[in-house]
Amino acid sequence: MLRIKQISLVGFKNYEQATFRFDKRIIGICGNNGVGKTNLLDALYYLCFTKSYFARGDQANVLRGAPGFRIEGHIDNAGQNTTVVCILRENGKKEFLTDGQPYEKLSRHIGRFPCVIIAPDDIQIITGGSEERRRFLDALLSQLNPDYLQNLIDYNRVLQQRNSFLKSVAETRLTDKHLLEVYDEQLVAAGTTVFQLRRDFLQQLLPLAGSYYTGIAGAEEPLSLGYESQLLHTPLRQLLRQGLEKDLYLQRTGSGIHKDDIDIRYADEPFRARASQGQRKSLLFALKLAEYETLKKAKGWAPLLLLDDVFEKLDRQRMRNLLERVCRQDDGQLFITDTHPERIRQEMEELGVGYQLISLPADTATTDASTRDFT
Amino acid sequence: MQFSSSLLEQAVNEFAKLPGIGKKTALRLVLHLLKAENSAVQGFGETMIRMRNEIKFCQRCHNVADADICSICANSMRKHELICVVESLREVIAIESTQQYSGVYHVLGGIISPLDGIGPDQLNIETLVSRVRKEHTQELIFALNPNIQGDTTIYYIQKKLQDANVRITTIARGIAFGGELEYADEMTLARSITNRMPVESYRTGG
Repeated sequence: MLRIKQISLVGFKNYEQATFRFDKRIIGICGNNGVGKTNLLDALYYLCFTKSYFARGDQANVLRGAPGFRIEGHIDNAGQNTTVVCILRENGKKEFLTDGQPYEKLSRHIGRFPCVIIAPDDIQIITGGSEERRRFLDALLSQLNPDYLQNLIDYNRVLQQRNSFLKSVAETRLTDKHLLEVYDEQLVAAGTTVFQLRRDFLQQLLPLAGSYYTGIAGAEEPLSLGYESQLLHTPLRQLLRQGLEKDLYLQRTGSGIHKDDIDIRYADEPFRARASQGQRKSLLFALKLAEYETLKKAKGWAPLLLLDDVFEKLDRQRMRNLLERVCRQDDGQLFITDTHPERIRQEMEELGVGYQLISLPADTATTDASTRDFT
Repeated sequence: MQFSSSLLEQAVNEFAKLPGIGKKTALRLVLHLLKAENSAVQGFGETMIRMRNEIKFCQRCHNVADADICSICANSMRKHELICVVESLREVIAIESTQQYSGVYHVLGGIISPLDGIGPDQLNIETLVSRVRKEHTQELIFALNPNIQGDTTIYYIQKKLQDANVRITTIARGIAFGGELEYADEMTLARSITNRMPVESYRTGG
């Protein structure tokens, strides 16, 4: 059983200093627009992933005028209490400590406290570019398999170096074939591992997501989900060799696992072109639910669930099915934000579960939020 | 910081450019020099200028030297057919401090990282390749930092020397001496198990 008991924020986003205690399994966070509901969720996300879900780069999360930020969380994992601290220093250096012990590599922390988030912009996973789907897949697989994350990090580092080298070749007109061969070997080693793990994992995840979709839709629909990778047809070593001339011309690497995608089709047409708004939302929930269930099965306990403004921006009916499942069948902790406290109250009362409601005041910077329990 | 003398301010600014030195430390150092004898400060300045002007880099291994050839390369007692390849002078100093190594060195001056604008041409790789061929080196020991760029550099040089009859090795990677297994990170531990070593070679220290 995984529970965040308390979180303290200093200089994070709009919070100058604030402490929140969570003593229920289900925590509703409400308040007007701009008071920091999503920021609080993002701070919880930080404790699990060592980074923000919404912002690229840590600096963007620092309160204006503050030198840096600090997030401190008290987490109870099956009766074992852990204090997790994330500090961004003035010089931009990030420190991440559990029980006072700093991590040498932040990536070691990923997966220790599994977490699933659903936010309005996540509909991009369905409608956006392939990058969004890789991000979804990577976040999930990294929590399950540290080896995957390490290989992915290695791959991306070598890829950056290779691309940078291709650019320098264009400037100096000097092609060092030996160095390209070395980069290719390094890409093949890490890339092939990532490919195999993605392929094997998606063989389980995608059918699961498909069956959840059918459940949500209430009828069998001609939906098909598949892993798409150049490596399915040709080994990476051969792809890189064949693409060399083009890579040199375009000054970037045109083949590899950084081009992978999850192919979503509806009656053999691209899903995003064909599907209605409602069908897109159904598929998003199906994917997130599959993520939740997969993490739960692998870890042996339910992951944290962070829901950002889902009633308003996504879909109330589909949300209710999800809540029904998460609140009644599972025992995972749930954080949910909404502008209207009544809406959370109504949902929870209909579900008949106890919950805690945190109302954020208009000026959250220093005032303590009021919190009430409902059982 | 407010200074009543621009000379003082300039001196503080110069010290503050050094790595690891902030404004306050710089001020402390300058005030110390201000209190010292004129001749001592003169000596300090001249030592720095002479160091920069007169220091040479060994033509053979690119280590710092007082002459064209460094003291390590000039030492006939050392095994010249054994070359340890390092990134910078710092590693030469660290390895020399162990007093366990009797071969010679080759200082690359960095590692390959196009992202940082460092390609193979900026490093002392060509001289290493021709040196190995000319001197009939028997073994190259790579003592580079264990990361991706370090690996790239090793593989690259290895490729360049494919046809040369030279043994290429790297320093061992694994559990630190005096470390606790329990606290070793999984990747290091996994590597240590893959690259395990026979106990007899361990006991004789290689």
